[in-house]
Amino acid sequence: MQPAVPNPPSPLLSTTRRHFFGRCGVGLGGIALGSLLAEESRAATEPPDLQDPLAPRRPHFTPRAKRVIFLFMAGGPSQLELFDYKPKLQELDGQVVPPSYTKNKRFAFIKGDAKLMGTRRKFARHGQCGAELSELLPHLATTVDDLCIVRSMVTDVFNHGPAKLFVNTGTSRFGLPSMGAWLTYGIGSLSRDLPGFVVLQSGPRGPRGGNPLWGSGFLPTAYQGVPLLPGPQPILNLANPPGIDRARQAEFFAAVQKLNSQRLAAVGDPEISTRIAAYEMAYRMQTSAPELIDLTGETKQTLEAYAAEPGKVSFANNCLLARRLVERGVRFVQLYHTDWDHHGNKDTHLGQPLDDRCKEVDQPAAALIKDLKQRGMLDDTLVIWGGEFGRTPMGEPRDLIGRDHHIDGYAMWLAGGGVRGGQTIGNTDELGYNAVEDRTHVHDLQATILHLLGLDHLQLTYRFQGRDFRLTDVEGAVVQKILA
Amino acid sequence: MAACCFSGLCAIVCVPCLWAAEPVDFARDVAPILAANCYQCHGEKKQESGFRLDTAQGLLSGGASGPALVAGKASESLLIQAVLGAEDVAKMPPKGPGLEAAAIELLKRWVDEGAKMPLEAASATQRKTDHWSFQPLAHPTPPAVRNRDWVRNPIDAFVLARLEAAGLDPSSEADKTTLIRRLSLDLVGLPPSVQQVDAFLADTGGDTYARLVDTLLASPHYGERWGRHWLDVARYADSNGYTIDSGRSIWKYRDWVIAALNRDLPFDQFTIEQLAGDMLDGATSDQIIATGFHRNTLVNEEGGTDPEQFRVEAVVDRVSTTGAAFLGLTLGCARCHDHKYDPISQRDFYQIFAIFNNADEPVLQVPTDQQAKELPALLAEIAQVETRLAEVDSNAAGRQAEWEAKQVARIKAAGQQPEGESPTSDAAATLGALSIAHDERTPAQKEALKLEFQKIDPERMPLVKQLAELTQSRKQIASAITTTLVLRERQEPRATHIHVRGDFLHPGAAVEPNGPTVLPPILARSGTRDRLDFARWLVDARNPLTPRVTVNRIWQAYFGQGLVATENDFGLQGDRPTHPELLDWLAGALVEARWSQKAIHRLIVTSATYRQSSRMRADLAAADPYNKLLGRQQRLRIEAETIRDASLAVSGLLSGEIGGPGVYPPQPQGIYRFTQQVKFWGENKDSDRYRRGLYTYFWRSSPYPFLKTFDAPDANVACTRRPRSNTPLQALTLANDPAFYEIAQGFAARILAGPKPDNEQRIRAAFRCCLTREPTPAELSGLAEYLNVQRKRFDEAPQDAAVVAPPNMRGDAERTQAAAWTMLARVLLNVDEFITRE
Repeated sequence: MQPAVPNPPSPLLSTTRRHFFGRCGVGLGGIALGSLLAEESRAATEPPDLQDPLAPRRPHFTPRAKRVIFLFMAGGPSQLELFDYKPKLQELDGQVVPPSYTKNKRFAFIKGDAKLMGTRRKFARHGQCGAELSELLPHLATTVDDLCIVRSMVTDVFNHGPAKLFVNTGTSRFGLPSMGAWLTYGIGSLSRDLPGFVVLQSGPRGPRGGNPLWGSGFLPTAYQGVPLLPGPQPILNLANPPGIDRARQAEFFAAVQKLNSQRLAAVGDPEISTRIAAYEMAYRMQTSAPELIDLTGETKQTLEAYAAEPGKVSFANNCLLARRLVERGVRFVQLYHTDWDHHGNKDTHLGQPLDDRCKEVDQPAAALIKDLKQRGMLDDTLVIWGGEFGRTPMGEPRDLIGRDHHIDGYAMWLAGGGVRGGQTIGNTDELGYNAVEDRTHVHDLQATILHLLGLDHLQLTYRFQGRDFRLTDVEGAVVQKILA
Repeated sequence: MAACCFSGLCAIVCVPCLWAAEPVDFARDVAPILAANCYQCHGEKKQESGFRLDTAQGLLSGGASGPALVAGKASESLLIQAVLGAEDVAKMPPKGPGLEAAAIELLKRWVDEGAKMPLEAASATQRKTDHWSFQPLAHPTPPAVRNRDWVRNPIDAFVLARLEAAGLDPSSEADKTTLIRRLSLDLVGLPPSVQQVDAFLADTGGDTYARLVDTLLASPHYGERWGRHWLDVARYADSNGYTIDSGRSIWKYRDWVIAALNRDLPFDQFTIEQLAGDMLDGATSDQIIATGFHRNTLVNEEGGTDPEQFRVEAVVDRVSTTGAAFLGLTLGCARCHDHKYDPISQRDFYQIFAIFNNADEPVLQVPTDQQAKELPALLAEIAQVETRLAEVDSNAAGRQAEWEAKQVARIKAAGQQPEGESPTSDAAATLGALSIAHDERTPAQKEALKLEFQKIDPERMPLVKQLAELTQSRKQIASAITTTLVLRERQEPRATHIHVRGDFLHPGAAVEPNGPTVLPPILARSGTRDRLDFARWLVDARNPLTPRVTVNRIWQAYFGQGLVATENDFGLQGDRPTHPELLDWLAGALVEARWSQKAIHRLIVTSATYRQSSRMRADLAAADPYNKLLGRQQRLRIEAETIRDASLAVSGLLSGEIGGPGVYPPQPQGIYRFTQQVKFWGENKDSDRYRRGLYTYFWRSSPYPFLKTFDAPDANVACTRRPRSNTPLQALTLANDPAFYEIAQGFAARILAGPKPDNEQRIRAAFRCCLTREPTPAELSGLAEYLNVQRKRFDEAPQDAAVVAPPNMRGDAERTQAAAWTMLARVLLNVDEFITRE
């Protein structure tokens, strides 16, 4: 247990400071300028400036990555069809799983007497590193020399909602801050006119779990993820009410700011200057967000590389948006792509439905890596791909064939900022059941992500209900092998 | 430049719980650091190198390496050298990154200041049980103060004594408009109407203020306002949570809370009914509804889940919520292991778990009076018809014989020869049976004929029809009956075991229902302690925590922070009270007032402390930056629901209806893009569109965005204090949200429907309606100019004016005017002051 880390001081303390430094009377535009001058003036070990909670702050040590794009494959993709080829599993296809594997284990749907199932997919080695990938990921195969594939992930929970919470918040309980909230709390955001933590969604439905997955828990709401909605209005209430054009809106904001400034002068509460700054950023967002989502300015080449089509809701478009977001300084972008829950029903088996998911994801994800690289941004942008768990080596016979949820060994990959690419780390046993080599728990992954961003997961804490909470709960160790 | 100073200043002030000028306190500042970092190897259980730090004696005598402390000389103290990792000294703790710089700094200061500690401080366990919050309520007498004229009631004496000791003056009383707005927002969650303000300002009687307080406390909207505070604690929502998050019906519980507060149900009774209303002798429907408090837990409907796992989660949540709501203890910390800081063992946790482990979770039908009357009458009628039907059937033999004879005759006449061989249809069987002599028929054939006859029995048919109608009515009434989720104690108790490492699949030793051992024992009515015993114990005079925690939470709502700043943690890691005597005096006052919450509200809001101005003061900012000494009031951004309610009230759109099922005000498109399932949202078109915020249907996985944006809790766990954030998304919401814009239009329509003096008079009226006070000349002229500009703009663009203006405006001139006023109304609803309680 770490000693108490200072929590944000009471607003009143900041009040005093604000008073001392005479920032009370700044007019339109003044706050933003002041914040830019103050870039990273504070360290992550200090509490954030309550007047400007998303101002960038110095991490604990020199970061390898400045921003994160987390491609969340909701539902739990099958590592056995994608990343983890097991000859022994092919050989024992159809046989009942040895009881030694399933003793004291719990599953969502299948029972202990389920039959092992080899994959129907072909695997081959790619790139200079010779990483083994299935035929379902032909585009990703061209980027393997930039990837660190981790085949030895383990997690604690095997139902979707709790497991997604676990990856995002470090526990399967509600009420804790998500990874993006921790990051923006720790080091703020580099964007002055977009939220610091943005969530995008594609696939047939929203991810199970909803809001708490990108919530701020007990951290201030300023750190919660902002969902970017499909359509011309990506942020709730971004558009002016009908009949109010840009000029009227500008006059409206000016009128509000004028009254607020007069009140600030009268009562001296710096909370009013925060309000003034918030209205300024809101006004800027009204321009910057529509500009952000407008893909028509991208070259034909880029659009084709991602398979993006302006105006459509797709993982491809979201990957391109993710690049545009991090270009604009957003700290943490999380893309949810749903429907990887391949149990074996008509629409969720390991045949066509899996083909479809892979087609939707493979090319854009690979394009994102190449695009970032080409723009020189891959070096300090961390890209993560994976779900809340993997799938069992045993088949789950329903209408057709599928696999059940599996927590003892599955795969994810990382690329970019500070990650040693061109390697596959970790191994599962010969059946692909238990991670046996370089076991990487979700808490370890979280510790590693924070580490790459220059944050010590033991130091990034917040005092709540008498305890110093952190993303990694009471566990977690940085996975050295992942680091470049 | 300024930025650098920031950091420098911060390094000093950020040390936890410490004001730069104040000496280090062993129990408050030092012991927690030692406990967190050292006790594991140098504590009660283990004393590596013969050294223990959890007792004064241990600290003073040192261990195998010699004395640990040299009082007054940090640099020479082994303890400090060890945590610093000085040369030739084994670094402590041996593993991990070491102590935080701030913590080391604290230890150094403590040693430099003489390493003072209470010598009687015995073992850690002893010190834990000696913790202030576990001690019985003291009954302090209000202290003497110099400025006796300022004191309105004992609260002020306690507050003023501290201020005077610090050489500070309290702030002057806020002006009357500020006071009526403050009181109104605090007590009923609505701004005062202009008429109320005028009456209050005109009334110069000595008891004007007290009468206003009484009026507001008697308002039915008081229950809505304070009910919402409690619903945060109760984690109330209208859906099951987790991923599927289906809807649920439990609004009867919400309405129970509102009604209970309105009739000032004493807090002890309020507690007992919510925790164990079902177990009271002759429990009324209302008292059972109250147990919905602990049915606000989540239900995981996801496929492939283990129901027992999530039942256990719900029980765990009941324990944690009870701890936060009543005891101010972080009981949940002891789920997997003994509490790291507080004297709560894992066994304690499961003893309380056992209290809640013995309840079933049924659905209660709550018929209206009308339904309660109609349904039994209907059932009686159904029984009657059924009896008559049985009678008719029992004397059907004669009628059937006649019918059979007719049938046989008809068949013969038609020349049909009934055949008896393996008939396949009922009709064929019947026909077949007819041809067989009565005595030779099989029982099946007899039955078939009887049934066939019943279909056409003229005496029977009307009865059957009547019965069908009655049954239909019964179904209709039954399905219209509101249901709510409640608790019911099981006849056969569940056995409870400690869950090893918190894992319900690894049961350890069996435990009996009981409370935490650090608190006075729970008395059982008979035999095993149960939920009702526990509920009564929570509010027993010997339990000091519940009244302290309760008055502290009330205090927090009025001043932005509690006397104990960590309102949900009165344990060793929590903050100490800023005014311990005041806290105990108030807690005692609550008990003496027979747990009347309204009595405590009255005490607080009539105090001079509460009535102070909230203006910033340079001397206070320097001497008491946290305003812990309460030398002024506090400006507070009002809560999410209150923002909505206040704007509705100002616009004249507010529906005053209290209670009922959740409602669906307009919300932006695209909300369910991010949920697993699209949620029902049947946008209201009638007055339900304008109900108070607490009636908005609350989906846990996708709360109403307006509420969420302004920090309404997500209702997954108990929330004892809302954060108050200040974000650009809030600005976008107030500026652009269609529902809020509709309110601005309503406000404009209201302004225009009022008296028609000049624009300036109208602006003044609108300003007062919105912000209660008079505008300053600068504000007035600024707004007048804004209005003129907008008027001109819309004159040039009548097509825009038609869209911006409220509906039902006729002609370009009227629309242009209304559009300009809508813009002005929108400005007033967006200023910081509108969403602030001054």
